[in-house]
Amino acid sequence: MHIPDGFLDMNIAVLYYLLTAIVVGICIYKIKKDGIDEKRVPIAGLVAAGIFAAQMLNWPIPGGTSAHFVGGAVAAIILGPFLGCIAMVSVVSIQALVFGDGGITALGTNLFSMAIVGVFVAYYIYKALNKYNTKIAAFVAGWIGITLGAINTGIATGLSSTFQYAITTTVPIMGIWHGILGIIEGLITVAIIAYIEKNREDILYISNKTKNKSRSGKK
Amino acid sequence: MNFKDFIKEHKKAVLVILVAIIVSPLFALAADAVGYSEPLEKSADHLGAEESPIYGGILPDYSVPGVDSPIGTFIAGLVGSIVTLIIMLGVTMAIKGRNN
Repeated sequence: MHIPDGFLDMNIAVLYYLLTAIVVGICIYKIKKDGIDEKRVPIAGLVAAGIFAAQMLNWPIPGGTSAHFVGGAVAAIILGPFLGCIAMVSVVSIQALVFGDGGITALGTNLFSMAIVGVFVAYYIYKALNKYNTKIAAFVAGWIGITLGAINTGIATGLSSTFQYAITTTVPIMGIWHGILGIIEGLITVAIIAYIEKNREDILYISNKTKNKSRSGKK
Repeated sequence: MNFKDFIKEHKKAVLVILVAIIVSPLFALAADAVGYSEPLEKSADHLGAEESPIYGGILPDYSVPGVDSPIGTFIAGLVGSIVTLIIMLGVTMAIKGRNN
């Protein structure tokens, strides 16, 4: 899902850089305003490093394709939408700057797909569904988050001249393929969140919030 | 918090990350074997779009120039995870605002 250089028209690339900068600015403002508990700082670092390492694992899929875990939902559920977004911004930026994975001109767009759409969509889905069943909530969050992120990649490329402005082709290709591959993302998300929920529920953003607001009756 | 305490307190998470880095060369070989291709590449092929790389990165494509690929992948994974950890710790410290 990492768009390389040369795929996007410059106006599209610039527009996404601007949108991403605005959202990241809002995230930083919200984080500063709400404050982060000292104990959550190492967790934020480890989540980002863990997502980087997990993205190294390319799952081969018979038939000549492969996909890797992206992790926006995991970041969102553990760290919340704002710090989760910043964690994904760190991962995706390092991938581009150190490893050449994703273009420099396309970085704003790639961040918008993976650090903004993938994180915020997953967060709100998880928030809406977790009161019914946290496992289903985590699965749907991972699955839909990555699929919509991929659709954004389809929109950005489909509005560019190198893709012949064929948005009606790029969006279905990205949406359908990642909609299928996203099932793996959903399953990995469930495995990680279910494990943390069982062993270290205290580090999850949503259960933290619920406890802080003493909204009991959950569980 | 010093480095030793950090590792001690979070040894499970550190271990999981290490295991992922250690097995990553196997996944890289497996993906190569089936012909790694993401949906975005399919879309690009279909419409004749071509990349025009302007920057390859310091460790291009998760490899270390001049080092055999499985070892290179391992080193790239290790370096990347450590850099990500340090950057995210630094960024979080910088923006964390007042404590709750």
